[in-house]
Amino acid sequence: MSSVAGLQRITPVPTSSDFIDIVLNATMRKTPTVIHKNFKISRIRNFYMRKVKFTQDAFDEKLGKIISEFPVLDNLHPFLSSLLNVLYDKNHYKLALGQINTARHLISQVSKDYNRLLKFGDSLYRCKQLKKAALGRMATIMRRQKDPLAYLEQVRQHISRLPAIDPNTRTLLICGYPNVGKSSFVNKITRADVDVQPYAFTTKSLFVGHMDYKYLRWQVIDTPGVLDHPLEEMNTIEMQSITALAHLRSAVLYFMDLSEQCGYTIEAQCKLFHSIKPLFTNKPTILVINKIDIVRLADLSDENRAFVQTILDDKSVTVVEASTYSEEGVMDVRNVSCDALLAHRVEQKLKGNRIEMVANKIHVAVPQKRDDVERTPFIPEAVKHRVKYDKEDPNRRKLQRDEEQEMELSGMGIYSADTKKDYILADDTWKYDKIPEFLNGKNVADFIDPDIAEKLEALEREEEALEAQGFYASDESEMLDSDEEEFQDAADQIRKKKASIKKISQEKNHLQNRPIIPRKKRHVTLSEFTTGMRKSGHDPLALEKRAARLMEGKKEAWEAAEARDAVAAQAAAEGDMDVDMDMDGEARPSKSKPIRTKSGMAVSASRAPRSNRQMAGLATTGQSDKANELRDFAQRLPNRLAKASESDRHIPITRPKWMLAGKRKGGKTERR
Amino acid sequence: MAVRTQFENSTDIGVFSKLTNAYCLTALASSTNFYSVFESELSDVIPIVHTTIGGTRIVGRLTAGNRHGLLVPSTTTDQELQHLRNSLPPSVAIQRIEERLSALGNVIACNDYVALVHPDIDRETEEIIADTLKVEVFRQTVASNVLVGSYCALSNQGGLVHPKTSRSELDELSSLLQVPLVAGTVNRGSEVIGAGLVVNDWCAFTGLDTTATEISVIEATFRLQGQTSAAVINEMRDSLIDHYA
Repeated sequence: MSSVAGLQRITPVPTSSDFIDIVLNATMRKTPTVIHKNFKISRIRNFYMRKVKFTQDAFDEKLGKIISEFPVLDNLHPFLSSLLNVLYDKNHYKLALGQINTARHLISQVSKDYNRLLKFGDSLYRCKQLKKAALGRMATIMRRQKDPLAYLEQVRQHISRLPAIDPNTRTLLICGYPNVGKSSFVNKITRADVDVQPYAFTTKSLFVGHMDYKYLRWQVIDTPGVLDHPLEEMNTIEMQSITALAHLRSAVLYFMDLSEQCGYTIEAQCKLFHSIKPLFTNKPTILVINKIDIVRLADLSDENRAFVQTILDDKSVTVVEASTYSEEGVMDVRNVSCDALLAHRVEQKLKGNRIEMVANKIHVAVPQKRDDVERTPFIPEAVKHRVKYDKEDPNRRKLQRDEEQEMELSGMGIYSADTKKDYILADDTWKYDKIPEFLNGKNVADFIDPDIAEKLEALEREEEALEAQGFYASDESEMLDSDEEEFQDAADQIRKKKASIKKISQEKNHLQNRPIIPRKKRHVTLSEFTTGMRKSGHDPLALEKRAARLMEGKKEAWEAAEARDAVAAQAAAEGDMDVDMDMDGEARPSKSKPIRTKSGMAVSASRAPRSNRQMAGLATTGQSDKANELRDFAQRLPNRLAKASESDRHIPITRPKWMLAGKRKGGKTERR
Repeated sequence: MAVRTQFENSTDIGVFSKLTNAYCLTALASSTNFYSVFESELSDVIPIVHTTIGGTRIVGRLTAGNRHGLLVPSTTTDQELQHLRNSLPPSVAIQRIEERLSALGNVIACNDYVALVHPDIDRETEEIIADTLKVEVFRQTVASNVLVGSYCALSNQGGLVHPKTSRSELDELSSLLQVPLVAGTVNRGSEVIGAGLVVNDWCAFTGLDTTATEISVIEATFRLQGQTSAAVINEMRDSLIDHYA
């Protein structure tokens, strides 16, 4: 509710039964609903615990919202705070909010308790009963909040209808006895529509109207009439006036009716002024004599005049006469009171330090003359004779907007403003001439200047002249002095050095990116190898010998193979189909060299191990027997547990699903 | 005479229009409402030109000008330039400027005699401004904002500047510009004066949100009702203090 300064919009408060319905409904909608007694018990418990917790959360959130949305009276502006106190009774209000808060705590306590119990629920049925009990207790707690909730809803509705009174702005406060013409005055100077009737207490609450005066917006507050009796005896209606008088920084307009048509004597009206006078301190006070169309101040008898004089003796009170009936003096009252209040407020503000901040805004900087140039405003003559545009005038000038609307109304299509209509050209017939943007591949705009050739020529001539004068010729003869020469020399050296460093670094780097064959894989000929060794001072003689010997062996083997192939080919030609040849008898079967069969397949020489590894490290058979015995012994436990070894951690399925899952119809768990 | 208006629901009318003593530029809009507001006040006195600048509608922020000339940024197309040339009287010089700070309306604030410009503007541009607009050019800031065009509105009779301009700065600027200056706001407290207000020597247009107090200050400052600004502001002093403090 933004209309009342300092009061937020409050969401409607439901009645207690609605409240319960809303929350339980939400629980139904927003928590899972399907449960089965065969589910795991932890799942069943969680299901119900979630329901209980959800309900509690929903209550908590809704109640918390109520508590936080209703204004805290102590944090409000004193005027609003005491107005709310007068209207709703502070104690009652606080009590209601307190009860709501208690209910919130109780509900969370219930939820905590039942959640604890639910942890021990051992069947679906019991869990369900516990949930039911929990929700029931929460609902009972809420049902007991029927009265506070109803009261708070009423308060909310009333607050939302309070007038938008800004306690800090410029305010005229109108007070006086009932029926003296307060509301009529407000109706006269503002657009507020306050009910005016010829009986007392027509106005039962505060009303606000707004008006403009002196470039500012003013707030006029119409208060209910006040009777002259002690504060304790005043009723709620009167107390609203007193609250406004006490807490608002405003100008007070005390209305008096000298004709006594209101039903109260002049004496009584003066007495009331004196009794509520303490509330007027530090406020501009204006005594408004209303209904002067009947009786004026000058017409009074001496006796009554003396009563009024007691008020006027106080120099701070200004008296103004008016009649809301004949509207005589109404504007005077407004002007006098507004001026008095404005003067009062400005005086107060000048005392504070905020005035520094606005000092520049009320300052007109007047220029100091800096030369004798006359800088006159330029207002065309046409302006002075121009008839002011008037929307209502039937002979007003026709605007584009009118054309657009006409076109729209006649349904002739979409209006498009003619931008060329007002062109200022030498010949009006040129206005709509079509000019190409490009002609012969050239932008027409580049050639739009008729003097472009002459201008270019002039530029060129100027350039030639400058060149002829030697404007661009650099002066070669200028000698460099020794300092400068030295300097340049050093710079040259630095430059060279930099270049060389750069080159070196680049050469170092530029090899790094190409693929390099590793040394091991690179083919090295014997001669390369031996020259290298000789260069580094080693004797490669032994190596050369060994190489020659190896070469010899290889050569022999190759020749032998050649010979064999030749023989085999011959045999095949002779029709001998026995291809399996036993090669074991060969003189020197090389370790690494595979034996080639007739079909070209390689076969490894022999797969039998050359030594018994079980006997490795054991000298005698006695030792090996002992080792075997120990190994068997160590294997006994794993064997018994059906494990391969002690590192075998495989757990076989103990409860096969096919045996245990699904409905049990035939047989029992143990026996199916 | 100050008129409240808005451009397609935006109250920053200074963005979409440019008003000088010799011509008025308005942005092309979907309807002619905005144009016609100017038309009703200015037609038969000065030409009002519907235009775009570089294809955009922010003509007020992109151009700078006074009764002697009009400066447009380098983004202006040849066709727009031709359109402007055809629409404006021959006494108004039009110049397209190659300038890095191309929102000329933001960086130049001028009346017919003096111009304030952004401190970082090109020296060549400064010379062109002086030649085309026939003004004295000062590199200045307004309330330590470099965008002088955005934060002030000037006419030959007065000027409204950023509300946080100090008194000493006001006096200094006023002596440079040789017009009375007032610090104020438009559009219900907006400090971008250039965006909310376009003004010449005899009329002003403000954003629709401008309050009565602001309008009164504007009318007083620019002497639109014929009084001296100092007299009016003094008369309004109490109201202003109560309004601002």
